[in-house]
Amino acid sequence: MNKIILLTVVTAAALYAQVNKPIEMPYYDYPMAQQDHYEVVAQHCLTCHSFGYVLNQGKKRTRSYWTGTVRKMVDEFKAPIPKEDAQIIINYLVKNYGDGK
Amino acid sequence: MGNLTRRGFLSAGLAMTASSLFGKNEAKSVSSDIFTPPSIAFPQKKPLKTISDRPPLLESPRDIFTNVITPNDQFFVRWHMPDIPTFVDLNTFRLEVKGTVNTPLSLSVDDLKSKFEPVEITSVLQCGGNSRSFYAHPTHGVQWAHGAMGCAVWKGVRLKDLLHTAGLKPTSSWVGVNGLEKPAVEATPKFFREMAVDEALTENIIVAYEMNGEDLPYLNGFPLRLVIPGHFSDSWVKMLSEITVMDKYRNSFFMDVAYTVPANDCECVTPGADLEYKRKPIAVMKVKSVIGYPTPNTLIKKGSRVQIQGIAFDEGYGIKEVMISLDKGKTWGATKLEKEIGRYSYRKWVFEWEPKTKGEHTIMVRAISKIGKIQPLADEIGWNAGGYQYNAVDSVNVKIV
Repeated sequence: MNKIILLTVVTAAALYAQVNKPIEMPYYDYPMAQQDHYEVVAQHCLTCHSFGYVLNQGKKRTRSYWTGTVRKMVDEFKAPIPKEDAQIIINYLVKNYGDGK
Repeated sequence: MGNLTRRGFLSAGLAMTASSLFGKNEAKSVSSDIFTPPSIAFPQKKPLKTISDRPPLLESPRDIFTNVITPNDQFFVRWHMPDIPTFVDLNTFRLEVKGTVNTPLSLSVDDLKSKFEPVEITSVLQCGGNSRSFYAHPTHGVQWAHGAMGCAVWKGVRLKDLLHTAGLKPTSSWVGVNGLEKPAVEATPKFFREMAVDEALTENIIVAYEMNGEDLPYLNGFPLRLVIPGHFSDSWVKMLSEITVMDKYRNSFFMDVAYTVPANDCECVTPGADLEYKRKPIAVMKVKSVIGYPTPNTLIKKGSRVQIQGIAFDEGYGIKEVMISLDKGKTWGATKLEKEIGRYSYRKWVFEWEPKTKGEHTIMVRAISKIGKIQPLADEIGWNAGGYQYNAVDSVNVKIV
């Protein structure tokens, strides 16, 4: 009987130990190109996602790829990015993460 | 060292090919353009390749594929929305079952554990975009290697038991599911997934509260997540909080645009085509095998005995055979399959190898399912712009010294 109670207590402790207080999420400063208009890019992109999404695209990308991607953020994800800022972001991505095409 | 040099050479070669295709003459190394993500330990996790910290996208290392069960602390993580609660209070947390039901339910985790029959299933969980970095032509999306998948023992209650307890009204035809993650901007589409009611009532779909004998790790969806064995993970909603039974399908970004492939037989288009094609949601997984050991660029002493190991799986029919080639695909031999622990689980395979010649060697593996589905070769796989469902033959280069 005692054994059963002890086992129950231990099990309960093990199960709740993981989440009895808020978790703390690490932050990482992804090394983006510190080029013209970086602040505009950071202001809009970082609202929803880290720059890992940009840097982990793997290969360098075409202008039409970056244009389509920024458009997707505005049209599909409804990111509130004014037109002129969207163009600034596209130009920044093409300049720093473009393949020249 | 020799391997690194060769890799650099190969990359440069690829860059030159790409440049000449695009009419550009300057050959520059691609490798310097490719960002190496940091390795960071998130809560309850060992350090993992951090593709993004917000929302967290964490990739498991390749050597995990020597295990049939993926340990919780190395299990991959992929969220969609930036705002994930950092604390879930089980005293107030409730799973709502609502919509076109006779009796809406509001269930605590304790209710699930005490009022419904517990069931257990071992199943692979794989992101639709897993392995997309291996597509020869670039795709959309962050470039996962093979580590956006894992296999775990899931314990919970059947979705159909919850639906039957609530009682479906006769008009019910779709079941929507969503969790606690939230977008930063109100107008952003919610991560809302749907399945036909017939599918929702199948035996194997469960609302899981345990993973490998523990509470779900926070980043894998604590306290509840949906488990849909055999299917890509896009509908395995984490921090599951609402199940909404509906008369009609609800159009949504995450069903109709994201996680889709071309709606044709090969589910493929000409490489480079953009997303302008008729689409359908990705669903069941494709037969696949991955090498866990050795990992790329391992140096192996000539004459030593190496046990090449890895895992294979499909959509739930099971694996019939995993073949191996050590001569770049000219000839194929059989690997030894270990015991099957469940038809939705990884199946481990091993191959004893005693390399007799020095130099570069390529190890390739190719799985065949019990219904005769076979992995395509890397240069034969059909391409889609989203980079989903990659399942071509895996290969690893090692050097015998």
